[in-house]
Amino acid sequence: MRYARLIATQARVSFLLLLQYRADFVISLFLAAFWTLSAIVPLLVLYSDRDSVGGWSWGEALVVVGWFNVLKGVQSIVIQPSMNQAVEQIHKGTLDFVLLKPADAQILVSAQRFDFRQLSDVVIGCVILGYALATLGVVPSLGAVAQTVVAFASAVALLYSIWVMVMSLAFVFVKVDNLTFLFQSLFDAARWPGSIYRGAFAFVFTFVLPLTLMTTTPALALLGRLAARELLLAVAGAALFILVSRWVWTRSVARYTSAGG
Amino acid sequence: MNILVDHLVKHYRVHSRSPGAMAALRSLFVRRYDTVRAVDDIAFSIAGGERVGFLGPNGAGKTTTLKVLAGLLKPTSGVVRVGDFIPNERRRAFLRSVMLVTGQKHQLLWDLPPADTFELNRAIYDVPRIDFVPRMKELVELLEIGDVIKKPTRQLSLGERMKCELAAALVHQPTLLFLDEPTIGLDVTMQALVRKFIRTYSQRHGATVLLTSHDMDDVSAICDRVIIINHGKLSYDGSITELVTRTRPEKRVTFTLSESVSAEAVQRLGRVISASDRVLTLQVDQARLKATIENALQTLPVSDLTVENAPLEEVLADVFAQARAKRGAA
Repeated sequence: MRYARLIATQARVSFLLLLQYRADFVISLFLAAFWTLSAIVPLLVLYSDRDSVGGWSWGEALVVVGWFNVLKGVQSIVIQPSMNQAVEQIHKGTLDFVLLKPADAQILVSAQRFDFRQLSDVVIGCVILGYALATLGVVPSLGAVAQTVVAFASAVALLYSIWVMVMSLAFVFVKVDNLTFLFQSLFDAARWPGSIYRGAFAFVFTFVLPLTLMTTTPALALLGRLAARELLLAVAGAALFILVSRWVWTRSVARYTSAGG
Repeated sequence: MNILVDHLVKHYRVHSRSPGAMAALRSLFVRRYDTVRAVDDIAFSIAGGERVGFLGPNGAGKTTTLKVLAGLLKPTSGVVRVGDFIPNERRRAFLRSVMLVTGQKHQLLWDLPPADTFELNRAIYDVPRIDFVPRMKELVELLEIGDVIKKPTRQLSLGERMKCELAAALVHQPTLLFLDEPTIGLDVTMQALVRKFIRTYSQRHGATVLLTSHDMDDVSAICDRVIIINHGKLSYDGSITELVTRTRPEKRVTFTLSESVSAEAVQRLGRVISASDRVLTLQVDQARLKATIENALQTLPVSDLTVENAPLEEVLADVFAQARAKRGAA
């Protein structure tokens, strides 16, 4: 409860920050719309002369793209701004102030900054989802929606854990700008349904960096094609990643405080 | 809160390499590590409400000691107790009673007014609004920041920002203050205000103050006790007056003369520190003080005189020089 209030206060601060730069806000809305729409172009090209790719029809692939946009939005609203801030704090040594606060440092760090400008990604993602479902003529059942919510929550948890681990590397390497950039580029792989990847890519994107799972699982759930077993696996995987990232974070902070300077 | 430090040792392993591109390239593959003994077996204890200044040249281990006490660094070995706590465990109750302000790093949100940082810290420390409002009012008055806290931090002057940093760090009314060079870069009036504020806060709330500084005036204005750390070792622990009389038992006597006098007349009196047209400063042994003054009053046209201790800056320079000589001899 206390943490909910704390996060709400931090979100309020971020909102105030946003209003400090109004012009920036308007420009970023346009930019987000532009990038989202341009991301659909490769899909249009791909489906212009065939009906199905890796077993996914045009409408079904759009569902994946929709989830990709929503997830990307969540990443850039909730996860990435705080993580970038944390990397800077580690670099400059101002993490000291966070570690001296009587609250869980991981929560303080993870919820310190929100970038509400990126809400446009979520909105556009939802529009794509609606359009895709209309094209397919699918009305999700209540069960499918429930499954989708769980699958999407797991996806967010997975993504957050990966970011925490990438951010923790800053304790060792200090500068991780390139690494976060690399991760963002890799994240684009989640735009496509999991089954279009073959061989090593399929393995990496499923088990090592479960990027495709993050979007494919909620897409399958929404289409009512997700087996209960797969959903359980997604939840278990997310829980495992959360635990591992918590462990990595704790170890990194201990290392920071025993080295420091 | 009482502080107890015994046999405290803190070593760092730092990666070292020679300058130059080749050396940098080589260090990508083979890393050489050196151990730096930042703090090398020191011991002291501090009673609740005391104000203690840590002095020492750059890299002496002052900040490291401060960070160990704040729980930000884990000691390599030794005992550190603050109240009932082991700082490094960073228990909530411990963190609630401490604060850290450094002259070099800031916690204020850069693009927002300081008032928003105060509000954020209120949420983090869970301070009820009924306590928060009068507390902030008091801080704002003492620090004279009433018209500053609504402006974005990035637009504030260094001095205004520093005062707001102090206010932000005191939202939870801590009883143990860690101040790492809090007046660095401030102008004289700001320094005076900050010093007076720290003293007042400490007296009003019985707060213990631990301060590191290069600035001797900081230390003498805020603290009653100094701990000198040099190359990780403790080289003095006691009152400032005792430090001065022990290191520099001589007094400084300054005479203002009604007319200029010959150089010989002056040199007969003792060691001359400075002599301008009508102002003459001598360094005199405590034992010979009375005789010298009497002598001067008889032989010189003295219109005024003052007797002072050697400036703290010089005392400290002496302490460090002595320590260097001792290390050189060893």
